[in-house]
Amino acid sequence: MSLSPVTVIWVGVFCLFGIGLYGLLAVRNLIKVIVALQILVKMAMLALVAASYSVDKLALGQSLAVMVMVADTIVAVIGLALAVQVQQRLGTLDIVELSRLRK
Amino acid sequence: MTMSRWLIVLIIGVPWLGAVVLRLVDDRRARLQHFLAAAFACITGAVSVALLFSSSGEAALSLPLGEVFGTFTFVPDAFGVSLSAIAAVIGCLAVIFSVDYMQGEAQLGRYYSFILLFIGAMAGLVLSGNLLLLFFFWEITALCSYVLISFYNDDPNAVKGGLQALIVTQLGGVGLLAGALIIQANLGTYQISTFLAEAHTLPAGVLSLAAFGCLFAAAAKSAQAPFHYWLPGAMEAPTPVTALIHAATMVNAGVYLLARFYPAFEAVPGWKTAVVTVGSVTALIAGIMAITAVDLKRVLAYSTVSQLGYMVYAIGVGGVFASQFHLFSHAIFKALLFLAAGTVIHSVGTRDMRQMGGLGRSMPYARAVFIVGSLALTGIPIFNGFWSKELVLESGAAVGPSWAYIIMLLGAGLTAIYTIRMVWMVFYKPAASEEHYHDAAPYMRVSLGVLAAGVVVGWLLVGPLGRMMERTLPYHHLHGLTLPELFAEAFRGAPLTLAIVFAGFVLYLALRRFAALWDRFDWLARFADMDFGFSWISDRFAGAVQGIAEGARVTQTGQLNWNIFGLVLGLIVILAVLIVGAA
Repeated sequence: MSLSPVTVIWVGVFCLFGIGLYGLLAVRNLIKVIVALQILVKMAMLALVAASYSVDKLALGQSLAVMVMVADTIVAVIGLALAVQVQQRLGTLDIVELSRLRK
Repeated sequence: MTMSRWLIVLIIGVPWLGAVVLRLVDDRRARLQHFLAAAFACITGAVSVALLFSSSGEAALSLPLGEVFGTFTFVPDAFGVSLSAIAAVIGCLAVIFSVDYMQGEAQLGRYYSFILLFIGAMAGLVLSGNLLLLFFFWEITALCSYVLISFYNDDPNAVKGGLQALIVTQLGGVGLLAGALIIQANLGTYQISTFLAEAHTLPAGVLSLAAFGCLFAAAAKSAQAPFHYWLPGAMEAPTPVTALIHAATMVNAGVYLLARFYPAFEAVPGWKTAVVTVGSVTALIAGIMAITAVDLKRVLAYSTVSQLGYMVYAIGVGGVFASQFHLFSHAIFKALLFLAAGTVIHSVGTRDMRQMGGLGRSMPYARAVFIVGSLALTGIPIFNGFWSKELVLESGAAVGPSWAYIIMLLGAGLTAIYTIRMVWMVFYKPAASEEHYHDAAPYMRVSLGVLAAGVVVGWLLVGPLGRMMERTLPYHHLHGLTLPELFAEAFRGAPLTLAIVFAGFVLYLALRRFAALWDRFDWLARFADMDFGFSWISDRFAGAVQGIAEGARVTQTGQLNWNIFGLVLGLIVILAVLIVGAA
């Protein structure tokens, strides 16, 4: 049995989706939550490329993926900066505890 | 043409500029913040009124953005200019009201900047002629609504209400995005005008998928059953925000969406029936819940849900003009009611109607405007609510299913019951305390006065509104009404409706006199208090997700051995896939 490259990519897309969703549900550390979000965004990027390949518009998908990369880096940077601030001011990164820590 | 282009740039640009400026002003300079917010909001209001005079059905502003996004266009047609005028003018009045209402609150910069951001986004939402652009503004309004509901972010109820509103409206946003993408995939364009023109060429299955996606989005945004429960939760927001976002503008976005796409979806089998069902069921259950609620703002929220049900129902029976006219009236009188309620809440310090009573003596101004708003809500002649509600019912009497028409008539009776109950409990019931409360402050009076005047004379604009719709909406084939026609239409069904409203009043008085009879309805009251189980379902769902998360947490042991085991397992799987794929 031989898999076409696109099929492998789609398998990868679903795996990344599963991992990201699992991470969002299971993880309580703020930094790990950001990592899980990043995995989901990577899934979206991969899906864009795979989808554009299937309809023969690869350049389009790739350029969109580059755009997502830019936006997503900004999100990651801001998220991590917030996490650092949270750790410094409140002394914890546990998201359940953080939502209990309201003034 | 160029004139309307500049006005569109201004109506979105001015409030957004204001939002940035207010973020930059130091929070200790509260007077400057009040002044700047009012100035930006007033300029926006003036621009929106000017835009009313340069409406057209053509795109006034296009930004070509290449192959993927198509062309972002802004179309100043009748829907666009009238709804953006509602957003900007009521927004301006809400900001003026806030000058007194938010006196002495902290973090005014955040408050005002999100209100201004919202006004600009709402105007953009109704003016955009591109589905993707529409979605973009749609999400910004949801974001602003979330931030402003949770404005008092040290109150757990406010945070919960905000999150609930955000999640439900985002769910609706998914429906809208799905509809937009389906349309794009089949027609190759996001342009709404192209879609309306060529909708009949689409395969039936595709079109009905898009139609029900839009209905889903509209129900979530406009708080229709089964998504209505987020709106009462949104009442934790400061009252001017409620009046602007959750009564006059954002909740109308769903109705707007249905009205905008009506020509395309009209022929989809079952769609109109679904719309009628959603509207009438919502109007009925929200009316019942309004009768039993004791929180003043919640009563008004349920009544908003119920009136939105009327608008949705009107679209379902083909009365797009009636629906838009009711939207216009409702925006004014409900904003008035919320702001008047805000005045009361601001001086009494509670929203619980059981602790109010006898406020009429110390707050005559608030009482006067509140009663004007209540009469319009109930549909008493010459107030704007009367004309539009009669028009909605008339359009349903002729074509819609008769069961839905009967429900809507019942709804009119329920409106009468909860309105008189609310007015009685707040202003006339024997006072709960001897305290003397202060009446509306000067800036509050300005906003309330303008809105009350709008309630009394706003319906006179029916002629120009109808003509504008006929002229600028080529696909809707609308027939606007002139004033004499409105008189004829409204008074045809008025005796019946007014009799039902009167029966509602009498029933309420009878129920109060005979407490035993009231107790007979106890089960209904308890059922209504539980929101007919809808929020129970949503809570259970959230609980289930929480449970799954807790279950999945077990796998997070934090032990290095397990992590390395996972890594190796993943590597093996990847290698296996590659080897199998290559073979």
